Amino acid sequence: MLSRVADSLYWLGRNVERAETVARILDVNYTRATDLYSQRDGRSEALWRSVMQCAGFTSQTKIPTNGKAATDCFGFCAFDTDNPTSIISSIRIARTNALSIRAELTTEVWEVVNVLYLHVEEQDLRSVLREGPSKFLRRVRDWMQAFAGISDATLTHGDSWNFLQVGRFIERAYMTARILEAVDVEHEPWHESQRLLEMCCASVPFAQASHHAPEARDAVSYITLSQSFPRSLRFCTREVDAAMHRISHAPIGTFANDAERRLGRMRALFDFTPIDEMLEPGVTEFARGLVADFEELSADIQRAYFPRLLVTA
Amino acid sequence: MLDLQPHYAVAAHYDELYDAAGAPRPHYAKVAASLARIDRDEILARVQAINTALLQRGVTFTVYADSAGTERVFPFDIIPRIITPSEWSRIERGIQQRVRAINAFLYDVYHSERILREGRIPREMVYSSKNYNREMIDVDVPRDVYIHVSGIDLIRDEQGEFLVLEDNCRTPSGISYVLENRDVLKRGFSDLFRNYAVCPVDDYPSRLLDVLRYVAPPGSAQPSVVVLTPGIYNSAYFEHTLLARRMGIELVEARDLIVVDNSVFLKTTRGLERVDVIYRRVDDDYLDPLYFMPDSSLGVTGLMDAYRAGNVTIANAIGAGVGDDKAIYRFVPEMIRFYLDEEPLLRNVPTYDCTEPAQLQHVLANLDKLVVKNTNASGGYGMLMGPYATVEERERFRETVIAAPRDFIAQPVVQISSSPTLVDGSMVARRVDLRPFALYGRSVEVPPAALTRVALREGSLVVNSSQGGGSKDTWVLQS
Repeated sequence: MLSRVADSLYWLGRNVERAETVARILDVNYTRATDLYSQRDGRSEALWRSVMQCAGFTSQTKIPTNGKAATDCFGFCAFDTDNPTSIISSIRIARTNALSIRAELTTEVWEVVNVLYLHVEEQDLRSVLREGPSKFLRRVRDWMQAFAGISDATLTHGDSWNFLQVGRFIERAYMTARILEAVDVEHEPWHESQRLLEMCCASVPFAQASHHAPEARDAVSYITLSQSFPRSLRFCTREVDAAMHRISHAPIGTFANDAERRLGRMRALFDFTPIDEMLEPGVTEFARGLVADFEELSADIQRAYFPRLLVTA
Repeated sequence: MLDLQPHYAVAAHYDELYDAAGAPRPHYAKVAASLARIDRDEILARVQAINTALLQRGVTFTVYADSAGTERVFPFDIIPRIITPSEWSRIERGIQQRVRAINAFLYDVYHSERILREGRIPREMVYSSKNYNREMIDVDVPRDVYIHVSGIDLIRDEQGEFLVLEDNCRTPSGISYVLENRDVLKRGFSDLFRNYAVCPVDDYPSRLLDVLRYVAPPGSAQPSVVVLTPGIYNSAYFEHTLLARRMGIELVEARDLIVVDNSVFLKTTRGLERVDVIYRRVDDDYLDPLYFMPDSSLGVTGLMDAYRAGNVTIANAIGAGVGDDKAIYRFVPEMIRFYLDEEPLLRNVPTYDCTEPAQLQHVLANLDKLVVKNTNASGGYGMLMGPYATVEERERFRETVIAAPRDFIAQPVVQISSSPTLVDGSMVARRVDLRPFALYGRSVEVPPAALTRVALREGSLVVNSSQGGGSKDTWVLQS
């Protein structure tokens, strides 16, 4: 397949997943912030600071007080077109990528992206907040999940689909690592573990698997190592690895490029390292290392399949 | 109920649906009756559904005036344009004849120049054409085909006779609307098709692919064919994606191609892959920066060399644009006589040549009665509709024409035919044209897939999408 097309599929996969994750993070926290609204102990600000960190991709710490935090931070993460990771930006990037490879996509896949794009472009912050942001956020999540289902069901499961999968699962793992980095399970174990699980869509799966109220280490362990939960770091890394090997045709456990080598090392970390050893430097530090690993991995993939400076023969 | 009767006195021009007495023409009677049976609100709801579907599918075009590249749905009108088998047969034969002659002309001007040597067309007229390309002299293109795809714009005059308004021999667009219009009309108004045998249009992409494979460089057994697009901001990008998808071939941009040792390759995730045929929807100027526009980074460096070495076929051929130059247009009937020894089956619109002093004087004296067109512009840009223009606009044109007479031609205003059209919920008369497409491979074929464009502004005679035009599904009836 064309390198340019592979590049666009990868970023389409990433931005669809990012829009969905940011929408979920905002939904979970907007609801939680409502509980904290009347409290003056700074917890609301701390909450929004962590949201800005994982969904807004900014460590900017100046969070407005007296109830404006929700509006400002929500606006920044959802509708700010200057913020390249806002929901609207992710959907625009996804749509531009989809358009540039329109000939590779099925009508159904194209339409799900285009319809959401047309919908989001019509929204504005004020009216979304007036009717409560849940409806809007739910719509984003629904359509982006529909994208996953429709692409699985209508695209040929060849290289196009594989590059889409690589993008989707890298982004999912990357966002899970960012969420892990942003929560503070050490100081507020119960609240923060619960928030962590909700932001990862994991509260019920975790409850079913563990049969007890979340304790910090169990929640982190679940989010990191679950074999079957589709947002755990281990699960996502395995999916990226599998898709990469389907593309390169190299057997699993070997590598054809630097990206596959790095994936092998990351899989070994999740498969063979005791959780206590992993978390030795602290959850935040551990997560920060993973965020950097996924960024490196993305650069490796780019170098292997769609270098920006194209080699001349 | 929707009142289908036209709300205008049947005028001096020809109406597609109603005859001079105001009665539906026989081939339209059943469609008119079917429409009359559908409730008005129901019709409007179905129209709304069609527009939503077109927007969601991305059947849009980009308006150039806006630098942000605004996407708009090309307005679609549900009242079909119907063409009888005998009308179509005449159109088909006329276009085949015309395209063969223009192709022969292109071969001739890039080889022995017989038509110029015999003085049938002035040399300066050809050499001064912006699209005449000296690099093509003595280049042999596969199967001697220059215009693999053409779109010949026809209009109907006051008597109902089809005339050729202009030829489009470079990268004519519009076929995607033909395919999509038929699809949405069948879904939204299947009842209209009852009792009609309409020629299907959906085999166009496979017929195009046959042509492209046929003209591959000799020796390529399984030719690799690609569509070359300028990219997502091009006004016809949707069409490029649709054709690539329906033909099952790659849609590429210039940056996806590389020339190595005079052969063209795709840059893929598995290395370089050979390309044999490029169906390009990119102008000559943007094909190869080594030959055209040297300061441009657009294009594929070395493509022209690969082309001249015969290692890749470019469709349409480079330099084919001299065949559709608006100043050359008036010589097409002469080409038909010269190369084919036949009389033209489709007449031209009378055309004044501004490079001849007497004709220029006539044009300048009658600017308020004529249409003046820039010979290098298309899409309804750079044009003066004399009778409808302001005094200032006419004066501005007068100066431009005097300064560069080669760049302009003038024609009388033809009162082109109208068709009932649904505008803002009521039925009104709007002017239409017809663009059939010709495919030139083993022979010239004219698939029954033609585009009817309609000028949606009241009184307007300009049908281009950039000038407020829309389109209709065009039914060629089976004989």
